[in-house]
Amino acid sequence: MAASDEVNLIESRTVVPLNTWVLISNFKVAYNILRRPDGTFNRHLAEYLDRKVTANANPVDGVFSFDVLIDRRTNLLSRVYRPAYADQEQPPSVLDLERPVDGEIVPVILFFHGGSFAHSSANSAIYDTLCRRLVGVCNCVVVSVNYRRAPENPYPCAYDDGWIALNWVNSRSWLKSKKDSKVHIFLAGDSSGGNIAHNVALKAGESGIDVLGNILLNPMFGGNERTESEKSLDGKYFVTVRDRDWYWKAFLPEGEDREHPACNPFSPRGKNLEGVSFPKSLVVVAGLDLIRDWQLAYAEGLKKAGKEVKLMHLEKATIGFYLLPNNNHFHNVMDEISAFVNAEC
Amino acid sequence: MKRELNHRESSAGEGGSSPMTTVIKEEAAGVDELLVVLGYKVRSSDMADVAHKLEQLEMVLGDGISNLCDETVHYNPSDLSGWVESMLSDLDPTRSQEKPGSEYDLRAIAGSAVYPREEHVSRRSKRTRVEPEMSTTRSVVVLDSQETGVRLVHALLACAEAVQQNNLKLADALVKHVGLLASSQAGAMRKVATYFAEGLARRIYRIYPRDDDVALSDTLQIHFYESCPYLKFAHFTANQAILEAFAMADKVHVIDLGLNHGLQWPALIQALALRPNGPPDFRLTGIGYSLTELQEVGWKLGQLASTIGVNYEFKSIALNNLSDLKPEMLDIRSGSESVAVNSVFDLHRLLAHPGSIDKFLSTIRSIRPDIMTIVEQEANHNGTVFLDRFTESLHYYSSLFDSLEGSPSQDRVMSELFLGRQILNLVACEGEDRVERHETLNQWRNRFGSGGFKPVNIGSNAYKQASMLLALHAGADGYSVDENEGCLLLGWQTRPLIATSAWSL
Repeated sequence: MAASDEVNLIESRTVVPLNTWVLISNFKVAYNILRRPDGTFNRHLAEYLDRKVTANANPVDGVFSFDVLIDRRTNLLSRVYRPAYADQEQPPSVLDLERPVDGEIVPVILFFHGGSFAHSSANSAIYDTLCRRLVGVCNCVVVSVNYRRAPENPYPCAYDDGWIALNWVNSRSWLKSKKDSKVHIFLAGDSSGGNIAHNVALKAGESGIDVLGNILLNPMFGGNERTESEKSLDGKYFVTVRDRDWYWKAFLPEGEDREHPACNPFSPRGKNLEGVSFPKSLVVVAGLDLIRDWQLAYAEGLKKAGKEVKLMHLEKATIGFYLLPNNNHFHNVMDEISAFVNAEC
Repeated sequence: MKRELNHRESSAGEGGSSPMTTVIKEEAAGVDELLVVLGYKVRSSDMADVAHKLEQLEMVLGDGISNLCDETVHYNPSDLSGWVESMLSDLDPTRSQEKPGSEYDLRAIAGSAVYPREEHVSRRSKRTRVEPEMSTTRSVVVLDSQETGVRLVHALLACAEAVQQNNLKLADALVKHVGLLASSQAGAMRKVATYFAEGLARRIYRIYPRDDDVALSDTLQIHFYESCPYLKFAHFTANQAILEAFAMADKVHVIDLGLNHGLQWPALIQALALRPNGPPDFRLTGIGYSLTELQEVGWKLGQLASTIGVNYEFKSIALNNLSDLKPEMLDIRSGSESVAVNSVFDLHRLLAHPGSIDKFLSTIRSIRPDIMTIVEQEANHNGTVFLDRFTESLHYYSSLFDSLEGSPSQDRVMSELFLGRQILNLVACEGEDRVERHETLNQWRNRFGSGGFKPVNIGSNAYKQASMLLALHAGADGYSVDENEGCLLLGWQTRPLIATSAWSL
């Protein structure tokens, strides 16, 4: 093995806590085994290895959850997370799960988990935990979408599922805030989930559904060009350019390159956002993520199109920093997200 | 992140003794708290070592190109240390598998059971992974948010509550109301509601269902087997574990605690026939109610065995109750045969009589089986509070019936009847008559752990084949197979419904 590879491993170990390193390296190793060179994916092994948790209608740390089948045709499930009801000693009965939200303004975050379009599910333990934390920190409802994944279900399946989920959330009477009898929706996601949030927001703008804000955590974007960060960070912090290429190939339509707007929203082929209805965005970028430059370019692109953007560039953060609450980046980002969704309250 | 103890603790069954709890706490104390929440159990003291092994593994695997062949079998991913170690061993068989001073057993990859490798194939099963039911989990999937459905559930729960409070007049009025609401529903919800209403009515009027029509039950079970994948999954996964345990044996003995029509065994006999080192001598002991029925099934299986060249011996044991089983009835030929004890959806019946399960487990222990395979409903339907049991089982059977909706109608109707009898027993009966006392995997883990059994991990090969088997079924999309610390669960729409586990001593 090359000396530089050894250095990479040692270097990544110095910037994250040990248990974070173990967690993310475990994913890296597992994912390497799952991606086949011919572009196919070992789905059975992926599901076997993924650590999942069931929903739990009994509150744990003040949050309970339940799953809803929102579209039988595509078997689209979503997991709903809610703060435990204040007036109840007992856990909510099944009839109480869809009790109307109690507040003048209650933010609802429609969440898309990451996994580079291929990995993880709404019931993956890492994402179940993250969503629970979001409820606790923001005092909101979170709906996590179990969208269809690549390579079996490439573009535009994930976007379609996101769109169906947005319409579902928007039409739930029990999610309406008292102030204006409307659902106060925020779109959020990490990695591919961030990408999905962007695209669903675009469609929402075209269709007149009000999205109050986008929260993109290390969103997955790219392009044909090899940016500076891709060149200098390749293989250094758990991620390689090669694996990024694999995932884009798996997600994008056959024969397409990375200038496809799904990958690069600000490519010449992308939609011009000027004058288009688009929510304010909180874009969180990890400085040690090799696609950092694409993410920064995304934020720039939004600004240039006259959209409101708050950029959090965490220079020393790696991918996955938000999976464990053992670093300052985690807490800072959680605070920002809370401020972002509660801005109107 | 500390998990808060749930106020409504259902009975965890007669399992956890206090010395065990101390051990559990000690063990739990050393595990990294943040990773445990994410599904990984790594001792804090092992963290650096695991990191080191991951580095080694990354070096060996190279950059994105997998040197592991697709046939590599993985076990228990929650045990990160073990998982990484076993992959390293698989890639480098000369590597010493034992960490100096480690209390862990040898971990070797077993590979597919019908192609046993030369190396010693014992799976790491030494460490007991016993966990008390710290808090109950209620997994709810909302399949149908219709107004009428909600009112129906509301009425059912109100009626059950009235029954619990012994307000029979109110209960009677409500159960009639349920009947009315149910008739205006469609599909799975109507059928489930009808059975639960019948159960409530029987309880109110004290017209208890009888469990004694065994022939009918067996017949219905065949339709249940045909119409949906639950029994097939149960048989398949249990057989995989048995095959792996029998990999090197010359003589094998399977004890089926509930033979019924013996649907599980043709596939096992065929798999044994295909062993590269040739089939072992196969002995089957079938336990059931009726001697003649048992013998007929045994005979038919014998016919199959002889056509495919497997030496076959059969013994039947007719019992009214599993707790009447005595070790000498089993005629174990110790030293010369590998023994598997198998139970599919039967063991919970022993919970109807206090003390029976412990006595039974010690009977099993005394015959020292090489493997014990258990499949049970993944639900707690044995709590002490009637209303809790009612609510839990209402959810459970709603999911189950929902999954049946796609099946061809003849089998489906019979399957619904099959499941309906379970519902009636659960709702209407009490004491020794209430035999459908389902408990969760964690509760069973407690019991087996206390009973001296150690878990045997079921691997990714079984998982993959079980998933593929499911894909053949109509409505396959809704089913999901999950791995949980060495056990496999089959669920419908994220709700786990049955669990297969394997144990040894």
